[in-house]
Amino acid sequence: MVVVRLVNVTKVFRTGVVGVKDINLTVNHKEFMALLGPSGSGKSTTLYLIAGIYRPSSGKIFFDDRDVTNVPPKDRNIGLVFQNWALYPHMRVYDNIAFPLRIKRLPENEIRKKVLETARMLRIEKLLNRYPWQLSGGQQQRVAIARALVKEPDVLLLDEPLSNLDAQLRISVRAELKRLQKKLGITTIYVTHDQAEALAMADRIAVINNGRIIQIGAPEQVYTKPATVFVGGFLGNPPMNFVEGEIIEDKGKLYIVIAGQKIISPTHYEPIVRRRGLRKVIVGFRPEDTMILPECRDRNECVKGMVYAVEPMGREYIVVADLGGELVKAIVPRTLVLTDDQEICLCPSLAKIVLFDPKTEKSLESLAAEKD
Amino acid sequence: MSAGLRDIELRSRKTEILIVATVLIFSIPLILSYSLLVLSSFSKEMVTNLNPRDFIPTLRNWILFFEGRTAVFGGIRVNICHIVLNTLIVALGVSFLVTLVGSMTGYAVSRLRFSGRKKFMALLMLLHAFPGSVMVVGIYFLYLMFLPSYQMVRLYSFFFVIVARASLEVPMATWLMKGFFDMIPWEVEWAALVDGASRLKVWRKIILPMVKPGVAAVMLFGFLAGWMDIIYVRTFLVDQTLATWIESNINAEYSYLPLVAAAGTFYLLPTIIFFLLARRLIFTISATGVKG
Ligand SMILES: Nc1ncnc2c1ncn2[C@@H]1O[C@H](COP(=O)(O)OP(=O)(O)OP(=O)(O)O)[C@@H](O)[C@H]1O
Ligand SMILES: [Mg+2]
Repeated sequence: MVVVRLVNVTKVFRTGVVGVKDINLTVNHKEFMALLGPSGSGKSTTLYLIAGIYRPSSGKIFFDDRDVTNVPPKDRNIGLVFQNWALYPHMRVYDNIAFPLRIKRLPENEIRKKVLETARMLRIEKLLNRYPWQLSGGQQQRVAIARALVKEPDVLLLDEPLSNLDAQLRISVRAELKRLQKKLGITTIYVTHDQAEALAMADRIAVINNGRIIQIGAPEQVYTKPATVFVGGFLGNPPMNFVEGEIIEDKGKLYIVIAGQKIISPTHYEPIVRRRGLRKVIVGFRPEDTMILPECRDRNECVKGMVYAVEPMGREYIVVADLGGELVKAIVPRTLVLTDDQEICLCPSLAKIVLFDPKTEKSLESLAAEKD
Repeated sequence: MSAGLRDIELRSRKTEILIVATVLIFSIPLILSYSLLVLSSFSKEMVTNLNPRDFIPTLRNWILFFEGRTAVFGGIRVNICHIVLNTLIVALGVSFLVTLVGSMTGYAVSRLRFSGRKKFMALLMLLHAFPGSVMVVGIYFLYLMFLPSYQMVRLYSFFFVIVARASLEVPMATWLMKGFFDMIPWEVEWAALVDGASRLKVWRKIILPMVKPGVAAVMLFGFLAGWMDIIYVRTFLVDQTLATWIESNINAEYSYLPLVAAAGTFYLLPTIIFFLLARRLIFTISATGVKG
């Protein structure tokens, strides 16, 4: 049982650069946690803090109830796969994998058994006699994972392990990794900047930006209920659409005006909007939750727009629509025939619309939750 | 480290021939003079004027040399073993010190981001550019400053020569080692730490093996520097080394040059041996570094 817990962890580098700020994160036993964020957001920094390579400027790190904040890496029993794999270039694959066990002074026959077992699991048993530079990227990555797993770590830390693989291999390996993690049941923290990878693999996702954790939640939750405009825009391909809207009240009902057109406000947002007395909001809706009709005919959840471009994607089409000067995207079935500059009707599913506060760029739900 | 050279495999045949030819042409004078020296050491007369009739084969020069005789006639004898030992002490001492200090400063300069690091590196370069003979006077004052009692001077002079000579080689060694350490990514070191190794183990099992060619090169250059040094040895050392002994015999009125040629050949041996052994090593360093 290992639960990794970061409490108010801040890392300021000697150069004055803030690596991460005030991180609070709990990774449960056997959980697969993805740490998702753009380049330079502090993902590797967080991982190195957990590994003990960096020492926090403030805050504490716990493995279960044990305070490991000042424990050196060698006493933390973690497996770490680096962004660039960091294999030992002067050792053969076998010795690379055996290295952590040799440090522990295990008997050589036991080492042999464990190395072979791990190698078989990762299907690299034929490569044991090679040097790292004689391997392809995908093979090196497997060796790095084997080296991290062979010592049966309490916590497995993976820093963008798939980023150097080609797209096809990445997709096949990610399913494999997920299975492996579930089979071994090791608490895992997986760093990635690829939102698809995080969504596909993780039990929970922690979205990080500018050194701060913005949202932690299950993939569906982070995807459908982004806490900020950033999260909505970072997840999904194509990402969430955002348009500015103005709140008006008409005969006791709330409406949002988008590009000069009125749609009814989603009912579940009404109490929050009223309570905060908001006049302006950012309306977020996902391309796949947006219907496109040839005509609107007084539907009160739709707005008129123009076809700006159509991108055939094979399985479906992505329609780029001009909505009063702002471009939004919608995913439509291939059966729909559209031409450029054609007038269309865009109907975001009301239940799935997310409203954000324009000042803080936070979703209204998360603002309401903050109050409590 | 077992891959040998790795280069693009598409270098044209012509360029290759051109390179080899150029190297050969430039090394002809060098090879010629060395061969003449070696030949003379096995001859009754010096063959340096390129007259084949001068070559009268004999082993007497070598026998005389190992007997410690400095002339064919007369009874001047030295203990040649002693002189060789002195030379070895200086050479090994310099080699050891240069390797130790060079690899440590090289590591520091490569790994630690202290302020003034760039200036420090430039300063080292500048130091290396100074010819050793320029500094003899200054170093002589240092020598005098710590001069111990009369009985100890002989020992002290060894110590001093080694330190003084090594300090001349340290800048270059530092640069060379820095280059090697720079090639080891931080992550590899960290990986070993995470794998459970102590700092010392990381150094011994990860870093040292990866910079082995560099260490070997620095050791070798240090050894040769100590072996070949004449200025410092002659200025400061109480005892004689091969270099000073040969030098003193070249100009002596009793000097018998073929014997000096034998001594000279013997003196060159380490260079030749190292050259043969280390050719591949030096090649790898200059061509690709530690890669592979
Ligand atoms: N050793 C360091 N010294 C100073 N600043 C650093 C150091 N390491 C990282 N940083 C800075 O801290 C911030 C976070 O870096 P980090 O490496 O954690 O990003 P990342 O999310 O892993 O990015 P990437 O996806 O590119 O790997 C960056 O602004 C980076 O420049
Ligand atoms: Mg990173």
